[in-house]
Amino acid sequence: MRRIEIVEHCLKRSLLSRRRWLLSPVLVLLMNTATSWAADKIVKIDVFPPTPYDGYIIYESLAVFWLFIIGLIVIIRMKLREIERIQELGVENEDKDAPMLR
Amino acid sequence: MNCPRLKDWLDERYDWEGIKKLAKSKLIPEHRYDLWYYTGGITLFLFILQFMTGMLMALYYVPHIDFAHKSIIEIVTKLNMGWFFRSLHHWGSQLCVAFLFIHLFGTLLLKSYRKPREMVWVTGFILLGISIFFGLSGYLLLWDERAFAATRVATGGAGAFPVIGWFIKAFLRGSMDVTGDTLLRFYAFHVAILPIITLCLVGLHLILVQYHGMSVPLSLEKEKPREAPFFPNVFYKDLMIWLVVMGVLVTLTVLLPPEINPKADPLAPPPENIKPEWYFLFLLETLKLFPGEILGLNGETIAILLVAGAILFFFLIPFFDRKSSRGEKSPLFTWIGVIYLLYFLTMTAVGYLS
Repeated sequence: MRRIEIVEHCLKRSLLSRRRWLLSPVLVLLMNTATSWAADKIVKIDVFPPTPYDGYIIYESLAVFWLFIIGLIVIIRMKLREIERIQELGVENEDKDAPMLR
Repeated sequence: MNCPRLKDWLDERYDWEGIKKLAKSKLIPEHRYDLWYYTGGITLFLFILQFMTGMLMALYYVPHIDFAHKSIIEIVTKLNMGWFFRSLHHWGSQLCVAFLFIHLFGTLLLKSYRKPREMVWVTGFILLGISIFFGLSGYLLLWDERAFAATRVATGGAGAFPVIGWFIKAFLRGSMDVTGDTLLRFYAFHVAILPIITLCLVGLHLILVQYHGMSVPLSLEKEKPREAPFFPNVFYKDLMIWLVVMGVLVTLTVLLPPEINPKADPLAPPPENIKPEWYFLFLLETLKLFPGEILGLNGETIAILLVAGAILFFFLIPFFDRKSSRGEKSPLFTWIGVIYLLYFLTMTAVGYLS
């Protein structure tokens, strides 16, 4: 309240003095906003790199990582199909009657 | 990859070809429910990831009430990629417990626990309990106000258990309240005691799975079995699923890094709307259902006794379910499993939304 009184005194002769009823709630609102913003700033700990540049690099890396995963899955799937095709043909099975090459 | 010299080197010493033949001779049944079996592999993969990220963070973490919170902030804000590994460890633990629950309920509903695989169920169930304790002990290491309050509630709840409650509470806390002793104790549990027990149990679980082989659901036992070699067929499928899980895990890690709250103050009132980890929510909501006093007895004690009884029954299901042991269908235990699952999901959702 002391601060409000000082500000009111300073503005006594200004245009705002005519709207004194408006001044107090506006100041209170401004001070509340400022203090709560400051409190948030103190408590909040950055758990992610705060600069936009770092953020951009990280999201870009995430997209590349997903492309890498999809690529690997496609390669493994192709390899697996090839293995299953060979297994169905029975080429892998050992022929017990095959003559020994010397 | 073709490295003939390395192959020869290994073959001369370790019968490499013999090992390859053994891996190929291991057959895995293929059927329409086999997707459930991959949840075990996913859990193993997440366990390995947790060990690796945990070891990285243990290099920088300081288990002391004056420095624990600060050391976490330094890991996250000052170390190169520190925020990433901390978030990866956090989300890895969440997914690990989630997949353990899926694996557990899958095993229950497919009756994979039936004779002769009772001990596979027992080791798996104990591993789930240990994983939950991993979560609880790891949460306190952050030493922020939420972790502090949650640990106080959890250890206090254990104290309500009749006869041995006081001992469990004192053993967990290491003193009258949650203090620096508790932090040091939980650190020892988290990085030394639990990992050793986990390694032994995972080893035993895997040996038992290899010994008994994969089970086939009762409804499919009479059908002509289709089988595929573990290596390379099933191994490659496992690999693809692990890659997808890895992608999901890294996406969660990047998009939703866990917050760090203000440092714990034992003299401050607990923060508003405090909630434990999601896998404790069903327990918390169950405790809320009971009044403070029932027939002159402490309501919390009765609730904890009932919950402990329900968990013990769940643990011993393979020994109660005699029908499925004989190879007969047992719809009663299917319904019991469904009720347990629905109760867990409903209470967790209620706890999360309230």
